[in-house]
Amino acid sequence: MATTANKNINAKLVLLGDVGAGKSSLVLRFVKGQFVEFQESTIGAAFFSQTLAVNDATVKFEIWDTAGQERYHSLAPMYYRGAAAAIIVYDISNQASFERAKKWVQELQAQGNPNMVMALAGNKADLLDARKVAAEEAQVYAQENGLFFMETSAKTATNVNDIFYEIAKRLSQVQPAPNPSGMVIMDRPTERTASAACCS
Amino acid sequence: MDTVASQSSSSSSSVMFYDFLDKMRNPASLNLVKSIKSFIVSFQFSSANPENDSKRVQEFFSTMEAAIMEHPLWAGATDDEFDCSMEGLEKYIMTKLFSRTFAISPEDVQIDQEISEKIHMLQSFLRPEHLDIPPFLQNEASWLLAEKELQKINAFRAPREKLHCIMSCCRIINNLLLNASMSENHVVGGADDFLPVLIYVTIKANPPQLHSNLKYIQLYRRQEKMVSEPAYYFTNLVSAKSFIVQLDAKSLSMDEIEFEESMQAAKLDCKVSQLEASQAQTDPLPSTRMHGMKTNIDGRSNYPYMEAEPGELTVEDVERLLSLYKDVVTKYSNLCRAVRHPSATRTGPSLPVPKGRDDILLQLEGQAQMIREEKAEVSDTPKGC
Repeated sequence: MATTANKNINAKLVLLGDVGAGKSSLVLRFVKGQFVEFQESTIGAAFFSQTLAVNDATVKFEIWDTAGQERYHSLAPMYYRGAAAAIIVYDISNQASFERAKKWVQELQAQGNPNMVMALAGNKADLLDARKVAAEEAQVYAQENGLFFMETSAKTATNVNDIFYEIAKRLSQVQPAPNPSGMVIMDRPTERTASAACCS
Repeated sequence: MDTVASQSSSSSSSVMFYDFLDKMRNPASLNLVKSIKSFIVSFQFSSANPENDSKRVQEFFSTMEAAIMEHPLWAGATDDEFDCSMEGLEKYIMTKLFSRTFAISPEDVQIDQEISEKIHMLQSFLRPEHLDIPPFLQNEASWLLAEKELQKINAFRAPREKLHCIMSCCRIINNLLLNASMSENHVVGGADDFLPVLIYVTIKANPPQLHSNLKYIQLYRRQEKMVSEPAYYFTNLVSAKSFIVQLDAKSLSMDEIEFEESMQAAKLDCKVSQLEASQAQTDPLPSTRMHGMKTNIDGRSNYPYMEAEPGELTVEDVERLLSLYKDVVTKYSNLCRAVRHPSATRTGPSLPVPKGRDDILLQLEGQAQMIREEKAEVSDTPKGC
């Protein structure tokens, strides 16, 4: 139960992935499918919040969707700055979206928060006939790069809750280092933060 | 004129502000008032430095937060009441320090102007398709509402209220997207749809001092409030601004040559209007100009509603406003076409622009004449020629 949890974590989670990979469908499936007593959720068009109870902690996800079109790529750092977690989404029926996902992974590794929990989601897993990206290939890639990997389907809900639950679990275990704030736009370091960091 | 949302918010924000002022008038809060006043005074004696100023203000908010929390006047206050007092404090401090903290550096003023000019140029040719905005999201009425929210940003001085304008704008777009996904049975597009619409709306709105407003909110809004949904929407507008600043031929779904030509034409258009504006300003006796031209220079005397207040308008005015609107649009599109024409063909080596302008001026003159005749028929206009 959320009310008995002794650790409250606010976690900014950023969604990255090619346009049409199903980022927001995935989140909507998660946000709408959860019900936690006394906890509000937000269902916007591009911003979502939802709370999950795991072990001894309550994790409130603040989910930031990003525009996947190539022309907005350079804006992404403003969104992932200060994020405690990221889900990088690709479409298993689209090889290009997998290549794009790898780019995101590299970029986050180079510029993101080193404690960031990263998940790779091969979405549209229901489209087996149209599969272009082998699950094994993605699994190997994820292992080599220290991510965890799941194939998901927003349509059938396969693994949707699981991926968020796994992130929540990892966040509750992370010993947080001081986190850069989620809101530094003008390159000003701020002391306050609303990210994963909960007092240890 | 105002939307319901912004009315209710501004009334609730004034309630919380008066509540704060009331508490400050209470003799028990004398020590708080003293700290606030001495903080404001201390600001007047130091030179402006946005980074440092922001740090000082944010630290002061934290200090005051602690002081208020322990103050007997707030004993038993709920979190909401306490938060209201902090919002009141932010508004009070930042209203007092506004002229010292907003758009203070010449660089910021310069950036504001550059952004505004670039947006002005983009407005002349940018269409939703250039940002791949799907037709089911092209809702002019809803966009107009969102634009108006952004344009209100300079009506406020408190960072919270400025941020609220951004929030209202984004919520309108948010609702448009949600409605579209429900009624049209489209897959939810999320940020893939949200950001392009916000960029387009920002370009249409050309909000005043965009860069300075964003910087001011970033620096002076209470940091603990710059999280979650407000932070998300704020970040979106910052990224929209950044996209617009970096925007070049490759940023749009548009032929690169067409883009360059449109920008050139818009630049020329800009220069023409700047020239006219400066002529109008420097000419001491505009009435000595050639007959029929003077009304065109600043354009205002043709448009009797320029000084009108919303309350003065009657239903009859709508028809008149519509016809004036059509005139303005016709003139503007003629002007654009005429200015673009010589630069697109590039045939005549001998100053094609002045020739083009002669044509436009002739056209404008004709239209001005028509308007004057029309105007004579309308008796109840608030201002005459």
